Amino acid sequence: MTVTPIDGSTLAAGSALAAGSALAADIELERLAAFVRSYTVEVLSRGRSSAGSGVIWHADGLIVTNAHVVRDARPQVALGNKEVVEARIVAIDKRFDLALLSVRGDGLHAAPIGDAESLRAGSLVLALGHPLGVHNALSLGVVHTVTTERGLPRYIAADVRLAPGNSGGPLVDTSGRVVGINAMIVGGLGVAIPSTVVRRFLRQVSASGAVNLSVPLAA
Amino acid sequence: MSTTPDSVLQSLSDDLAAAVAKASLSVVAIHARRRIPSSGIIWRPGVIVTAHHTIQRDENIIVTLSDGTTVGATLAGRDPTTDIAVLRLNSEVGVAAERATDADAKVGQIVLALGMPGSAVTAALGVVSATGGEWRSWHGGRIDQFVRLDVSIYDGFSGGPSVDARGRVLGLNTSGLARASAMTIPLRTVERVVEQLLSAGRVRRGFIGLGLQPVRLQAGVVKEQGLPREVGLMVVSIEEGGPAHAAGVSLGDVVIAFDGAPVSDPSELLGALSGERIGSAVVIRLLRGGSPMELHITVGERQRRKEHA
Repeated sequence: MTVTPIDGSTLAAGSALAAGSALAADIELERLAAFVRSYTVEVLSRGRSSAGSGVIWHADGLIVTNAHVVRDARPQVALGNKEVVEARIVAIDKRFDLALLSVRGDGLHAAPIGDAESLRAGSLVLALGHPLGVHNALSLGVVHTVTTERGLPRYIAADVRLAPGNSGGPLVDTSGRVVGINAMIVGGLGVAIPSTVVRRFLRQVSASGAVNLSVPLAA
Repeated sequence: MSTTPDSVLQSLSDDLAAAVAKASLSVVAIHARRRIPSSGIIWRPGVIVTAHHTIQRDENIIVTLSDGTTVGATLAGRDPTTDIAVLRLNSEVGVAAERATDADAKVGQIVLALGMPGSAVTAALGVVSATGGEWRSWHGGRIDQFVRLDVSIYDGFSGGPSVDARGRVLGLNTSGLARASAMTIPLRTVERVVEQLLSAGRVRRGFIGLGLQPVRLQAGVVKEQGLPREVGLMVVSIEEGGPAHAAGVSLGDVVIAFDGAPVSDPSELLGALSGERIGSAVVIRLLRGGSPMELHITVGERQRRKEHA
């Protein structure tokens, strides 16, 4: 195998593995964290020090976050390069606890979206966010359980350490794909809204005509 | 970023999920208390081992297997001192858990704590954070190895297994032996206690009928008698008609050795009173009025108290 750090350099295939799988895992984690940072934003509300996190869902500037993170009619979003931009609320659904924001920004990287249905108890997951004013805090754990409703994932409970400010941020698999939006902490467990539910929300938004994109929001 | 199936994290993730899937077959939910159920491990078909403090009734216990089937169960025995209870299922169903009997837990080793506090098996990831030698619980139970986990404790976690990265059981998890930290009772202890509970319904413990308090001995007496320790155990209460009473122990005597071994902490004496001593005569060495003397005590059996967590 090859281990490719985010800066594009290539480590000799054997060097990391020769030093042990723990080191190889460590290098991969670093690379993964940098990748997830590239599509995770901070959602700000005026007059508040910490607000929440968000995920760049589409390179055109569409950001998915939690409804409860958006406390302002004109929220602001801090992009990865620390640039703070005004955001427009495209849609809010309190039932799903999801919101869709739109920003103008150049060179935005959309997150690859994973499949929450492929998760099993014990699968490794990472959460990235800005809890309690700490920027880009990474937390590693395993899927605790995926609860389903009529055969479809409803919530992902994960053994990851979250705090206020993680809300709206991504829960990702080991390939860096977003499998959920971190939404709450229940009994010490991180609870995320599965990507399948986010897609359903986006289909509804798309059908309502709130956004008009050349690319379909959710396939 | 390309997704390579042979990435280390991906294969670790797959291995962990496979370990959970395998071990899950032997994890059950136990409905023997109000509110949320606790967890248990299928020790062999028809036999469940769990944490004593989560079993709040002896009958009308319902066990849910990981495939969703429910089976009635009765309490086969419980040992509050090690926080272990054994249940017998009404039918010999279930897949016995595979056990990691070959090695002791090591600090830094990856562990998964499994539980079934509802309809599905749940997992938490962590490492073994500390290990140590044999120790005694607050209630005097002998635990063969001290193993503390850096794993989050969730409701219903007690009674479930901690498993290694291959899905083999390392121990029985409980929050009942230490405050605010996850402990796992090592396999050796579980095996020993389960056998005793299945054969006798309880873990037999010796009893001499003394209340003891550590006291500092007079420096002169320690020197004069050449005593190995500066602390002894003063007799502060004697059970009427108990073994020590029958042997002639008096209030105010200071116990300094039991069966040839010096004692300066009540837990040492408790530890020496294991089940195999019951019925045997043991020499107890004490100081009475500053002078040493020896008495023979016939160890009795500790009667079970109604003990509920």
